Amino acid sequence: MGNRLLSALLASAALVATAGFAEAKTVIHVMHQGDPGWVKAYGDVATRFEAANPDVDIEMIYAPHDAYNEKFSAAVMAKQLPDIMELDAPFLANYVWSGYLQPVKPLIDKDLLDDMTDSNIAQGTYPIDKDLYAIGLTDSSVVLYGNKKYLEAIGARIPKSVDDAWTREEFEGYLEKLSKLEGVKWPIDTFRGYGIKTEWITYAYGPLLESAGCDLIDRKTWKASGTLDGEACVKALTMMQDWVKKGWVVPTSSGTNQFYAEGQPAALAMGGHWFYAEASAAMKDNIVVMPLPKIGDKGVSPNGTWIWGISATSENPEIAGKFLSFLLKDKEYREYAKTQSAYPGLKSFAAESPLYAEGGPLAVAFEQASKTAIARPPHPAYPTITSAFMQAVDKIFNGGDAQEALTAAAKKIDEDIEDNAGYPPFDEQQ
Amino acid sequence: MSDLALTQPVPLAIARGNGKRSLRIVQSLCILVIALVMISPLFMLLIASLKDDRFRILADMGSFRAFWVSDPTLSNYKEIAHFSGELAYGRYLFNSLVILVATVVSGLVVNSMAGFVLAWGSLRGKAALLALVVALYVIPQESIIMPLVVMMSRAGLTDTFAVQILPWVASPLYVFLFYQFFAQLPKELYEAAEMDGASVFRIYRSIYMPLSLPALATVSILMGIESWNQYLWPTLVTQTDYARPIAVAIATFFGQDSIYWDRAMAASVLMMIPVLILYLAFQRWFVSSFVGSAVKG
Repeated sequence: MGNRLLSALLASAALVATAGFAEAKTVIHVMHQGDPGWVKAYGDVATRFEAANPDVDIEMIYAPHDAYNEKFSAAVMAKQLPDIMELDAPFLANYVWSGYLQPVKPLIDKDLLDDMTDSNIAQGTYPIDKDLYAIGLTDSSVVLYGNKKYLEAIGARIPKSVDDAWTREEFEGYLEKLSKLEGVKWPIDTFRGYGIKTEWITYAYGPLLESAGCDLIDRKTWKASGTLDGEACVKALTMMQDWVKKGWVVPTSSGTNQFYAEGQPAALAMGGHWFYAEASAAMKDNIVVMPLPKIGDKGVSPNGTWIWGISATSENPEIAGKFLSFLLKDKEYREYAKTQSAYPGLKSFAAESPLYAEGGPLAVAFEQASKTAIARPPHPAYPTITSAFMQAVDKIFNGGDAQEALTAAAKKIDEDIEDNAGYPPFDEQQ
Repeated sequence: MSDLALTQPVPLAIARGNGKRSLRIVQSLCILVIALVMISPLFMLLIASLKDDRFRILADMGSFRAFWVSDPTLSNYKEIAHFSGELAYGRYLFNSLVILVATVVSGLVVNSMAGFVLAWGSLRGKAALLALVVALYVIPQESIIMPLVVMMSRAGLTDTFAVQILPWVASPLYVFLFYQFFAQLPKELYEAAEMDGASVFRIYRSIYMPLSLPALATVSILMGIESWNQYLWPTLVTQTDYARPIAVAIATFFGQDSIYWDRAMAASVLMMIPVLILYLAFQRWFVSSFVGSAVKG
């Protein structure tokens, strides 16, 4: 009896083991951030992919936007990097240098690679080996939104193209006129309310400063001292501090939108392309989209957004690449992206996005991508660069001395680079 | 009339009575104002959760319209009350409840036992142990969080309920709280029970635990709130929606590009209710614990 029971148990165990083996699926972990709409969109794509590929199980790992880096660090320490991860483009150099990512060119469908815009290629490329490490459906930009009624009231010129963007004189002149216009509480909302916990200051203000001849770091010598604390940067940030002192800029305490809020108290807004969907819904025809002003000789605009990379530790990179290709081609995902006024990073997506096509309300934003977009410094020290820079700008906007704050920031950046022996092979780039 | 007022002085007792009444009215008004200030954010949260337009909520903030809703709707609550899929906030709320109950119940047992042994146990180096407990309390959670993540991952506990409960069951603060409470009880209680032949565990369970309701209530509330509001830890150790708590799930409403105030407010109201119930249930003992510790000495 005992033997019979033992045999039966062994047989059942073998059956269960065989069944489990037969049903074993390849699991692909995908770490991402996003609001409920994006979370659902990604989840739906994963479901469709699983239906088309019954032997693959896609496990979506959600990480809150504000704790994404902490979650990523935990995954690294626990040696639990996902197969695919969403990453903020300016952090790409740091991730590649640290050995977390692998080139995606051999893993992604060729037609998608050929479809990428130059700006999208730039945000996913590591400057040392010039290889592509990440790809996305989207990119991003910042434009100058204007309240049509207010601008007409002061007789402002409305630029139609990047080539005729406002000059510094025009821009400051309009800010001054708007400050005196009835109904305008603040001439411009630069979204100081985003604070220094997001990338906003580096992402949006950096290009204005670059337009004025400044930069966060010398992109050849990779030294911040002499550049970030140089005369051009000090002058440019003193100029912005002056706008704040004059009460032209919406303060941090007023939140993240005073442009289309009740009474429309801010006349202009230096906002991301994503802001258009909400602003136009609230303001209808009273909104104009303009290129960022030229503070110096050249116009500069930002680029870069959250893109997808495949981790170096992935045991199934081919399947991961297959899922990424599936995601980027998915029609419903693209449709959802359109409703969010997503900025095209693929030419085919741009062609099917009425917002960005020629004559579309955000065409000027898309024009910036090819004419004025400059990526944030693609260096492994970028996390330190952005953090030091944002703290300096925050200090300056709150009345601190520009030279002092920028010198401290430059020193901090250079120290980080020195502490890492120049982040070889970046130290050989000089 | 003015002459009468000047020539007929008000009796002292009546004047004092009037003065006291005026003082009481002023005091009551002050308390009312403070109460209104304290309760207004909660009221605003509740009102905002009944508005279905996130832009409206944003526009209303900063004005008295934030405290008024003309066409209340439960649509935000309906949208988040799912129990399956990636946006199953109903399930996340349930997950949080499971974690809270398990953490508090096991925490009460473990910490009270440790506190009891430190207070009455015949341990060698008790003073040193007590000093160690106090010293452990000053170590900030953030400084040990990454090594803890690695430990939990090696133990294969990532993305489980256990990983959100186990590390927080024993706490130096609560051990110390129980120790203090037990140490204040009369020594005779312990000695009498010991003479009657009761074991240490029996003394702890049948005599000291029933007497420690205020301490149990205090620890339950503090531990419950702590567990309920955990954000960074579950963010780091949960992967899928299996054991995701509500605090992490609410973060989805705070996206990169925009904030979904309407649903975030509704989810926050739901998140608030269990802790409020916990507090109300234990409030009497919680307050008496503080009053007791204040008058002793």
